[in-house]
Amino acid sequence: MIRIVVGGQMDKDRVAEIIKKLGGDKVSVKIQTDIQAAMAIKTNQADYYFGACNTGGGGALAMAIALLGMPLCATVSMPGNIRSESEIIKEIENGKKAFGFTPQHAEQVIPIILNKIIK
Amino acid sequence: MTYIIIALIGAFASILANKGVAVFNDGLRPIVPEYLEGRMSKKALAATSFALGFGLVIGFGIPVSVAANIILIHSILLGTDIIGTWSPDGKKGMIISGVIGAIYGVGLVVGLKFVVDLFSMLPVNFLPQLAMVSIPIVAAFAAFPALVVAYQYGVKNGIITLTISFLVRQIVQYYGKFKIGSAEVALNPEGMALLVGMIIMIIYAVREKADPNAQSVDLVSLFSDRVKRIKKNVPYLAIMGGLIAAGTSMLIIAGDPISLNLLSKGKSAEAALTALARGIGFVPLVATTAIATGVYGPAGMTFVFVVGILIKNPILAFSVGAIVITLEVLLLDVIAKFLDKFPGMKNCGDNIRTAMSKILEVALLIGGMMAANAMAPGLGLFIVIGMYTLNKVSKKPIVDMAVGPVGAIFVGVLINILYVVGLYLPTVIK
Repeated sequence: MIRIVVGGQMDKDRVAEIIKKLGGDKVSVKIQTDIQAAMAIKTNQADYYFGACNTGGGGALAMAIALLGMPLCATVSMPGNIRSESEIIKEIENGKKAFGFTPQHAEQVIPIILNKIIK
Repeated sequence: MTYIIIALIGAFASILANKGVAVFNDGLRPIVPEYLEGRMSKKALAATSFALGFGLVIGFGIPVSVAANIILIHSILLGTDIIGTWSPDGKKGMIISGVIGAIYGVGLVVGLKFVVDLFSMLPVNFLPQLAMVSIPIVAAFAAFPALVVAYQYGVKNGIITLTISFLVRQIVQYYGKFKIGSAEVALNPEGMALLVGMIIMIIYAVREKADPNAQSVDLVSLFSDRVKRIKKNVPYLAIMGGLIAAGTSMLIIAGDPISLNLLSKGKSAEAALTALARGIGFVPLVATTAIATGVYGPAGMTFVFVVGILIKNPILAFSVGAIVITLEVLLLDVIAKFLDKFPGMKNCGDNIRTAMSKILEVALLIGGMMAANAMAPGLGLFIVIGMYTLNKVSKKPIVDMAVGPVGAIFVGVLINILYVVGLYLPTVIK
């Protein structure tokens, strides 16, 4: 079971819904505030952090970057630009634990990340 | 005067970004300390700021600005973020970023005016129709508090809020005019509906109690050095906030698409209320990112826009704007404690931002369709809907919110081309 927290900051219900639908019983999903969610990763109470906001990095990742450090965080989509599947997979292979994207791209990027981490 | 203010805003914002004092893009803010503290190279910082900002300037800021002829602040401050991070460090960087920033600001005003003038000289003038983009926003902006309540406390409570807002709106429309002495007072239906909706929204939010078992993180003490850094920079931030308030009071710039469109229709009371609501939505985001990063935003929590809208005298707006942003910074610790105590308010802030983008997305899309359809009946709808759906599957999509305005502008240009080659006859020449 992979433990996922949805932290920052927009459209959290929808992001959690997409993760649940795709992950089924392989994942547990918890919606928290961005601060709590980042702390959950830090204290090893959760494995991965997902967050959406209009820039893909501000509200989505600010707390994660501040609390976990940049090396654990990746912006996978931003306004006008979605990173390619291979780039996203590479980020996961490099050990990133927190992912930020824009709500508009949630449907595109979440499956890529989930497929990789529940493998 | 317009040029001086806009040049000052551009120059100052670029310098603040260059020094890492304040950046506008919330996505860039967490990355700035990574650079300042030596974990990231200048090149990577510059590349990130460009990637995060450029799409929004071109795909969102500029189209929305053209449609209403007021500059959306994103167009300026996302640009100055890029200028500031691309310029070198030190004194030289300060001068370079200041000069380029000033040119950029003036360039935007001149460029916008040029585009609008150019459009009005085209054989088929579509500017009057383009202004229709804002019709749905002006009518529907009062719905967003209901959506915030629905996100947070379920659809049922959302419907209750929407119903109360609706009742207030109708009652005010018919009974909202009365005389005090000889002066006639007319309450605005949408404005009052919004006000009531916001009050309900806040009542719901403050009733939510903090979960005693939740892990709490004392941000302020965890990041005390960074908070100190922001407070040290208060004088610069005050000038920046003052300039933005002055620019807003002169109707050169606006802080968000909703108040921008309301302002372009001369509805300043409603614009001020919307800007206030948006400010509340940005308090948690700006406060927490600022505390955790030591970097502030040039527009702060965006309350300076409310100041600018309400105070018509630019000099007075400047002073009040400077005071407001100073208070924001000095009260950062208090705000953080308050947010801890009322978790409902923090969620409310997040939901306000989600709700405003949802409403804008629909309203600007329909507005874009109405405008396009007025320019070219049938064809306009065909093109805007086609663009919206295709954009959904694009790998490099423009922001959903911008498809409406971009589509309408595109149709306007297209009918001119069609007219020239003889495939389109204007329908509304009377």
